[in-house]
Amino acid sequence: MTILALYSNKGGVGKTAAAVNLAYLAAQSGLVTLICDLDPQASATFYFRVKPKLKPKARGLVRAHKPIDRSIKGTDYENLDLLPADFTHRNLDITFNRQRSRKQQLKEILNPFREEYDLIILDTPPTINILAENIFNAADDLLVPLIPSTLSIQTHAQLLSFLKKNKYRSNGVYSFFSFVDGRKKMHRELATWARGNFNGVLRSVIPYLSHVEQMGIYREPVPAFAPASRASKAYQELWEEIHQEILNERK
Amino acid sequence: MGTNLHFRLSDEYEPGQIDQLLTGKFAFLVEPPTVEKWTFYDTFDWRLFNRSLVLRHAGREIGLDQLSDGEALNCLTCDLAPEFFWDLPESPLRERLEPIIKMRTLLPLADVHTQSMTYRILNADEKTVARLVTTEVRTAGEESEPVLVTYLSLRPVRGYPKYSRKLAKRLGRVGTETPMLEDLYFSALERADRKPGSYSGKLNLQLKSKKRSDASAKVILRYLFEVMKANEAGIKADIDTEYLHDYRIAIRRTRSALSQIRNVFPTEVTEHFKQEFRTLGQLTNQLRDLDVYLLSEGEFQARLPEAMREDIVPLFDYLRLLRNHALEEVIEGLLSSEYARAMNEWEEFLNEPVPKEPDAANATMPIVELARKMIYKRYRRVIRDGDYILAHTKDELLHALRIECKKLRYLMEFFASLFPRKKMARLIKQLKKLQDNLGNFNDLSVQQEYLMHMAEELPLDDPRSRKALVATGYLVEKLGYRQKEVKANFADTFAEFASPANQKSFRQLFATKRKAGR
Repeated sequence: MTILALYSNKGGVGKTAAAVNLAYLAAQSGLVTLICDLDPQASATFYFRVKPKLKPKARGLVRAHKPIDRSIKGTDYENLDLLPADFTHRNLDITFNRQRSRKQQLKEILNPFREEYDLIILDTPPTINILAENIFNAADDLLVPLIPSTLSIQTHAQLLSFLKKNKYRSNGVYSFFSFVDGRKKMHRELATWARGNFNGVLRSVIPYLSHVEQMGIYREPVPAFAPASRASKAYQELWEEIHQEILNERK
Repeated sequence: MGTNLHFRLSDEYEPGQIDQLLTGKFAFLVEPPTVEKWTFYDTFDWRLFNRSLVLRHAGREIGLDQLSDGEALNCLTCDLAPEFFWDLPESPLRERLEPIIKMRTLLPLADVHTQSMTYRILNADEKTVARLVTTEVRTAGEESEPVLVTYLSLRPVRGYPKYSRKLAKRLGRVGTETPMLEDLYFSALERADRKPGSYSGKLNLQLKSKKRSDASAKVILRYLFEVMKANEAGIKADIDTEYLHDYRIAIRRTRSALSQIRNVFPTEVTEHFKQEFRTLGQLTNQLRDLDVYLLSEGEFQARLPEAMREDIVPLFDYLRLLRNHALEEVIEGLLSSEYARAMNEWEEFLNEPVPKEPDAANATMPIVELARKMIYKRYRRVIRDGDYILAHTKDELLHALRIECKKLRYLMEFFASLFPRKKMARLIKQLKKLQDNLGNFNDLSVQQEYLMHMAEELPLDDPRSRKALVATGYLVEKLGYRQKEVKANFADTFAEFASPANQKSFRQLFATKRKAGR
């Protein structure tokens, strides 16, 4: 069992789109997969046509030592379940802060699912505080989408140095480029620079494509509503690389 | 998570009426129908069925399911029909099958043809909240064939129990809840005239304690005769090695029964058939030896350092060649008129009713008495010989003790049904431990001699042979070390078998009352 977190401390870099499409492809390949929507914006939950639990009284992820398996919903696809976003996630940081062993909470919450699932994908909100550290502890691997801008590269460098400074292992941190326009020289140059300077930059890139934006209209993963599209192929490639390089390596 | 529910559609309903059942109550989407051929597999001796498992090849998928509740255990995509476990790609399915089926071939048992339609039940967000699958079953793929039965399967989606509950209620009105896989499996096998569990290499006998000994002996011998008969075709077709193995065990047991269940038939009859079965056993000796060496090829290789593992292959290639010849000889033997004569004669003897006033001294004794006497006598001999070996360790003595143990084991298995089942199982298990130790010791000694001998037969002008000879020498040395270890374990293994508690169990079960009271 592997826990893979889509993580970035920047917003709008394509985390949720990647999490949803990768989870779908993983399930299609036969892995029993759970996608956890930890973002109170509930985008992943929306894409799978599940209603988020937005009433504060709902059974929350962190309201805690109670089993969360009753919150899990089956999606429209074989092998793929979803833990929907929960209003209480908005306050995840505060809740974790109050608890003992506060940096290991998420890991402990996910522990019971190690048996049931082959792969758990975490879709996370942009954060670098206590929730982030919970994610670092819980996930076997981090997958960071990078947009080809100098700022994004700089943020990634900050993340790597934070992980190093706080003694999180830095192997197991992977990144891939998202929103890439192959016609732009700067995009190509930044990608080349990143590959030369960071470890774990994957070869596959997700181009800037309208099909990715249409996920919100179809409320389905791209490979489900446009299997032959370029976007679908890009995610397929990314998934295969992750499967080969990250998941198979861990065995 | 909700488990799948299956309903058998009542005869008065048509599958087309499902739409009506849902319309107005549920929003739904129908997916295009899928047509599949399902083939059920098992080994000749029903290893999967005996563990309540079903292996099926459906469409492009091989799946292993629990027979009773249809729970899917493992599956994988594979176009080829499975034969041996090692033909499957590395996977959890293969890992689960390996220790169960081992070297046995998976045989296709029966086919069914299915046509399935999936109805996705949707909520207001057009999210799938349950699935309903209709499966029409036919004996052949053409749609003109009559439908044998239609199943409705409700597959709940996690987190939406209300929809599934409502659907289940509606489905209950048009059909009866049925364990679908079990239903399909048994009916398909019945149509193919296969009886699950009908063959087993084990002695599943039910004897009656009061029955005459000669008649009881015939019950045992007839069972063994059936085992021999059942395996002949598989040996001739060379499907896997275990047909021959079971066949040979049946011969050995027959010989053992003839010589151990004393004085139940006229002496000249017993002697005659003992001789016949000795000859029959010899026919297959060489083939079985070669099978055993070839089955352990991987194990032998693993005993070598990695650099030498390839070197020994020519030796096994040579054994494979010998095996082809040995197989031809066995097939020829089984097809010969001499073989047919011997088997006919034996069958005739088995079918003869027992004489009213037999000459043989033990013929009319109740079998349970004879069984007690024989088992206890053999047991005491094993204990006596074992004690002697502990004082004077000689390899030939261990060999002799191994034979004694084997005789005792056969007796206990022949007559197991006459004694309390649990106690018998426990004693046989302990005997088996001792036998394993003695058997390993013997195998290792035979293997060293055999492998060296075979390696010397390789053509010496081939440089590969020289390497193979060196590798074999190394292997033989390793086997020698192992043999010493096994021998060192004998004392403890025997002490466990000869423990006072065990001796007491044997005495209580088998010592005749007169002796106990003396």
